[in-house]
Amino acid sequence: MKPFDVVIVGGGGAGLYAAMEAMKTNPSLNIAVLSKVYPNRSHTSAAQGGANAALANKAKNDTVEMHIFDTIKGSDYLADQDAVDVLCSEAPKIIRELENMGTPWSRMDDNTIAQRPFGGATLPRCCYCSDKTGHTILQTLYEQCLKKGVIFFNEYFALNLSVNGSRSRGLIAMNMKSGKVEAFPARTVIFATGGYAKMYWNRSSNAAGNTGDGQAIAFRSGIPLKDMEFVQFHPTGLRKSGLLITEGARGEGGYLVNKDGERFMARYAKEKMELGPRDLVSRSIETEILEGRGFDSPAGTYIHLDLTHLGADLIKSRLPQIREMSMQFEGVDPIEEPIPIRPTAHYSMGGIDTDNFGRTVMQGVYAAGECGCVSVHGANRLGGNSLLDILVFGRIAGHTAAEEAQQFEPGTISEGELKEQLDEVRGGMHSSGNYERYGALREDLGKTLASNVGIYRESSLLQKGIQEISELKERFKKVRVFDTSDVFNTNLMQVLELKNMLDLAETVAAGAYARQESRGSHTRVDFPVRDDVNWHKHTLATLVNGKVVLGEKPVTMGRYELQERTY
Amino acid sequence: MTVPIDQHNEGVKKNVTFRVFRFNPQVDSKPYFDDYTIPVERGITVLRSLNYIKEHIDASVSFRAFCQAGICGSCGMRVNGRSQLACTTQVWDVLARSRDEGIIKVEPLRNLPLIKDLIVDMDPLVDKMKHYSNWIDSTMPEASMGKKEFLISEEEFLRYDKATDCILCASCVSECSILRANKEYVSPAVLLKSYRMNVDSRDSIHGQRLAELVKDHGVWDCTHCYRCQESCVKSIPIMDAIHGIREDAIESRGMKDTSGSKHAEAFMSDIEKKGKLVEATLPIRTNGVVWTLQNLLPMAVKMIMKRRTPPPPPLVKSAKGIKIFREMFREMTEHVKQDHKSHKK
Repeated sequence: MKPFDVVIVGGGGAGLYAAMEAMKTNPSLNIAVLSKVYPNRSHTSAAQGGANAALANKAKNDTVEMHIFDTIKGSDYLADQDAVDVLCSEAPKIIRELENMGTPWSRMDDNTIAQRPFGGATLPRCCYCSDKTGHTILQTLYEQCLKKGVIFFNEYFALNLSVNGSRSRGLIAMNMKSGKVEAFPARTVIFATGGYAKMYWNRSSNAAGNTGDGQAIAFRSGIPLKDMEFVQFHPTGLRKSGLLITEGARGEGGYLVNKDGERFMARYAKEKMELGPRDLVSRSIETEILEGRGFDSPAGTYIHLDLTHLGADLIKSRLPQIREMSMQFEGVDPIEEPIPIRPTAHYSMGGIDTDNFGRTVMQGVYAAGECGCVSVHGANRLGGNSLLDILVFGRIAGHTAAEEAQQFEPGTISEGELKEQLDEVRGGMHSSGNYERYGALREDLGKTLASNVGIYRESSLLQKGIQEISELKERFKKVRVFDTSDVFNTNLMQVLELKNMLDLAETVAAGAYARQESRGSHTRVDFPVRDDVNWHKHTLATLVNGKVVLGEKPVTMGRYELQERTY
Repeated sequence: MTVPIDQHNEGVKKNVTFRVFRFNPQVDSKPYFDDYTIPVERGITVLRSLNYIKEHIDASVSFRAFCQAGICGSCGMRVNGRSQLACTTQVWDVLARSRDEGIIKVEPLRNLPLIKDLIVDMDPLVDKMKHYSNWIDSTMPEASMGKKEFLISEEEFLRYDKATDCILCASCVSECSILRANKEYVSPAVLLKSYRMNVDSRDSIHGQRLAELVKDHGVWDCTHCYRCQESCVKSIPIMDAIHGIREDAIESRGMKDTSGSKHAEAFMSDIEKKGKLVEATLPIRTNGVVWTLQNLLPMAVKMIMKRRTPPPPPLVKSAKGIKIFREMFREMTEHVKQDHKSHKK
């Protein structure tokens, strides 16, 4: 195959923006996007809320500087301040650019892009399209990529980088439709494969495929992962599926109730009650469950989000989506019954360590979006900043790769390498000694993470978690791929995804164990306060001789000094 | 008063047989069905049941699934003959309407090439999106983008708000009666997207897109069966979009443009004059004399032999009560014209 100049892995917001920008930067380049799903299926579509930008359409006194400060404070001062500068200064431009290309933003009375308030933001600056913002952004980007003639390899599963010393020769991927392992020799590779929070499995709001494939591939190739221990939990996920019930349900007056019929938030946030900050509410629900005041069910312990007292009219008019979701995914009509919920993992702050241009330590390899970690979210991401992140840094990575592609020799990937990969991925199909079911392993991984590396973390629990993950990795060696066919082998794909999740779970647990403080989403019961003296720094997880080795990286400071984070 | 779910529902399970369409092109010469019977409690979706079957009974059952929350559109399939998303479909609800008690039949979407089991090839749909330029070609040059916003009224936003709900799950494609006969037909989803682009003031290639839409296999091939709209998982009024494109085509390209618009015009004129159709001359008025002679003469001869010809125009009498009808007809067309005017404002 003719070598590519830029190969982008992932067709969500970051990947598509990268592709578009790379084509714009140099139209003569040979650019391809690989995605394990059709790009319009990517998880970007699930983002409902919106994207922050200081357009000052709604609050005329809003400024980029205020957006910067809110983001740094929200990150519990772990974000790199120069990166946040880039994120927030580029925000108005990128939102307008999308608007100019056709994104159907909701509008204000003066016909400008509408903005609404969001958690952690001083002023209303979240640009939105009803409750389908991510979906419409993804559609716009996909449409524009089709218009520009971007070459798509849909339903290709990325397996590995082909590495020669300190630089990459390209990517090896499996064509799902044929089962063939194919080479993508390339001058540059951009990883934009999304987050890894699905490792918490049914205690995650993520899509089934958010398994951190790009991070795992980079990690196995020796590229460090940054701040992996930071995983954000949302308070109200549906019990069975982990899907989100948005904050609006509590905003309209919903109660959180334990099995004794008690509105327990009175004990944790007397004034704000159900409307306390996200991490506090998550921790409170978790405490109720841990202390035995939750409802038991085969699908796990949960508590009630009760809307019944709000009445049918209000629920139908203001919370129709929530009602629909409860009925579709739990079979519960919130007009008549309370909704079973529990906290759910839904965003990964950590990812592939990059600089502000999307570069990793390996020449010719870049990362962007939830897959990368610049870092702009630090220890805790603000609502409305994730869509912004994928847009801004997707574009930057695409631009950088297109500019730098010519510096790198095109790689070649040998037939031998492909054969080796093929043998490896199909290894689990042999009946001899392979008997473990991926479903059971995945379930166990989710459970051990939720109970030992979850909302509350503590030394002995984390040690237990690390131990159990390593046992699961041993068991994985005996995993069996029962479907032995070539065409669209989803069983094989699930096993390969599980392998990626196991590798990453180890880095999450290792980082959480090492970080002896509580900061942002990371809560250590045994170290309940933020420790700026010893822990105001990023962790870096690198694979050395098959072991996770933890290093560190200083936080880039700027105009804002460390302060206590209070709201 | 809070009623704990567990007291009356939790733990109650029903045995459900999933009759799953199977086809692996590597080994099977033709498709077949496999039955899997599993206990299912309330609140479980069809997708979760398929996941359970895949994990516990037969790992080779193949289907697509991604977000599992009804927004990505991956898991479109036919459940008891109806195209829908497996992830938003409750097993107990479907069961209550099953023709065969306790059995739920699961099949792949129709009108797209089959790959394996419940997986169909989406490429034809993407190709059509490209063919009909399903994107905004902005009036703003690329170099000036990002500097200022277009000002868009709430009214304009509402014109395409519903259409942008489309998640390309292809349920409408699967249900479309035209596609069953003609795979080259544009498809409801692509018409919907085309309409959404055409009513966007930021777009500059409205005329070009419309010119493509009125060609063969385009917007005039739709027969108004409304199945696309009925099956839409996002309840989008797809037919409004199709009508919208047609009205637009007639308006901006004139009535003589295509056989489709001429057909519509002939219908209108007959109904206005006689209150019913003059079938004998309809083909000529729609497709012209040459086409009719070339294509319909053999059939006309056969019809004459079998004495099945429609009466010649002079013999078509006006319908009963034609005077009152004409009055109503005039009122209605006047109404529609007014509507159009206010739409354009």
